[in-house]
Amino acid sequence: MATETRPIAATQLELWHELMQFYIHEAWLLDERRFREWLDLFTEDVFYFMPRRLNVHRAETDRELTPVGDLAIFEDDKTYLRMRVERLETGMAWGEDPPSRTRHLVGNLVAEPLPGGEVKAKTAFILYRSHHETEENVFAGCRDDILRPVGGEWRIAQRTIVLDANVILAKNLSVFF
Amino acid sequence: MSATGGKYRVINMETGQLDRGIFVDPEIYAEEQEKVFGRAWLMLGHESLVAKPNDFFHTYMGEEPVILCRDGRGDLRAFLNMCRHRGNRIVRTDAGNARNFACAYHGWTFSNQGELEYLPGAEEAYYGALDRDCLRLAEARVDTYAGIVFATWDQDAPSLDDYLGDARWLLDVSFNRLDHGTEALGPIKWLEPVNWKTAVDNCSDNYHVPTTHLSTIIVQGRHRGIPRLTHEQQFQSESKHLFVNGHSLTLRFLERADQARQTHGVTAENRAAFEEYYRQTLAEAERRLGRLRARRLQLGNHSLFPNGVLGLRLAHPRGPLQTEFWHFVVLEKDLPEELKTALRRGSANYNGVNGIFEQDDMDNWRGVTNSALTAMGRKYTQDLSMGVGHDRRHSQYPGIVAERYTSESNQRLFYQRWEQFMNADSWDDIPLEPKTMPYEGAATLRG
Repeated sequence: MATETRPIAATQLELWHELMQFYIHEAWLLDERRFREWLDLFTEDVFYFMPRRLNVHRAETDRELTPVGDLAIFEDDKTYLRMRVERLETGMAWGEDPPSRTRHLVGNLVAEPLPGGEVKAKTAFILYRSHHETEENVFAGCRDDILRPVGGEWRIAQRTIVLDANVILAKNLSVFF
Repeated sequence: MSATGGKYRVINMETGQLDRGIFVDPEIYAEEQEKVFGRAWLMLGHESLVAKPNDFFHTYMGEEPVILCRDGRGDLRAFLNMCRHRGNRIVRTDAGNARNFACAYHGWTFSNQGELEYLPGAEEAYYGALDRDCLRLAEARVDTYAGIVFATWDQDAPSLDDYLGDARWLLDVSFNRLDHGTEALGPIKWLEPVNWKTAVDNCSDNYHVPTTHLSTIIVQGRHRGIPRLTHEQQFQSESKHLFVNGHSLTLRFLERADQARQTHGVTAENRAAFEEYYRQTLAEAERRLGRLRARRLQLGNHSLFPNGVLGLRLAHPRGPLQTEFWHFVVLEKDLPEELKTALRRGSANYNGVNGIFEQDDMDNWRGVTNSALTAMGRKYTQDLSMGVGHDRRHSQYPGIVAERYTSESNQRLFYQRWEQFMNADSWDDIPLEPKTMPYEGAATLRG
């Protein structure tokens, strides 16, 4: 059987490379606690969403993730995100003061350009968190983003975070995804 | 009465000193599972989670895994999720619709009315000798309050109506206001490294709010136009704190009947829309609750003994040092969609696992729990003396009423109730307050 190799379009490779750099940059902003700069990566109309993940039979995995309109874990607009960041700056956000030590590892990027200039970008992540003396959490999951070009920069217009967890094995989610 | 004698003397009501051992001792924990969680009416869900016949929702009563279902006839049932053969779990999913539940181990199959309907080899292997009637699923008593489902394992427990007592008089202003009732969304589930009691006593602790939650109080003022809450306001507040049968209820007064209730998700931007909603529903609420309750009262922080806090939020014990917390939001069905959205987002974003209020609580609860783990820590009692001698019966309101909005009457009475359960040999030894309040209006226990 004849196989046909399709050349990878240079533009596609460039896009992937550019987005990967964007996500690496974002991860460093979070782990270096530069949250104001991280906030600037989001559009003003951003929807930052983490549905609940239900334990269902294989035949019913179409309802594994709760839809918008059901109770979600995160359902933030830019104002809620801003509140989360600004409260850290008060010095009295006790759940994060002293702060968590985090490491965001982001990869497995798949990018799909959408008509109109936006890009659908999917990544997988491992987020390690160490807090106080001996506490540890590992969060794994994926992020489905809609990225929008704004003034020559990529901005996140929509982020759906799916955790690989049913009962979340952590005291809280006071870190960012 | 064993409430004053008995094995457990953990809270001194005159001095407010509490023995911390109750947070960490494995033997006390094991006894709690029987004497508190085995006896009390426990919240376990909401009718809207099992709306249709054969719907089921997997939940817990304390540590016990429970299948809450609506059987084919439409009746609510709560079964221990345990095959009567070897004890395997017969339901492994969070929710669904099923007429029966088949055990994945040997195929024993139970109807959603609890009968052992089928098993392989009933004749061939058991020689027809198995007494199926003795092998029904273990079932709890179920009742509902305004759509919220409760259950108890104790056949001798009083009715749910008596268990709630006059706590319902005030709960009604949040949960029983309208004919169409409420729906529950959720839960968000997470595991906290805390003793379950620390979470419950905290959720009716008005004292901690201006300190623990100051960062969020500041930013919600800045971005949502919510007036800043201070200690001074709380000390001078006219609000009351009521205690009935171990339940704790904060009563706040409305300045106007259409005032937007103080709930997470109400902002300067949407306040007018909420007020419009309260105006439109006032006549109906007044018909159901009477003038005082419909126009003047709102419910603030509250908890239902033993493990329900701030509405339908559950602190499920998972060993002395762990709690699985479940966060639901309960919404009036009649709310316009945009206001539902505001309350749903506010509920999870303020009080869920990521809640900008709640995420600052867990380390406090853990600290309080773990202080009892060391020999030196155990030597010192927890000081719950605030307002000792300043709570009493009140002519207008049910139960014991603290003079001030901020006090530790809440904690003292919660741990006293815990003591009453732990020292009782049966429900005969557990005191219940008589119901004395006038329930003006048409609302009943069931809605």
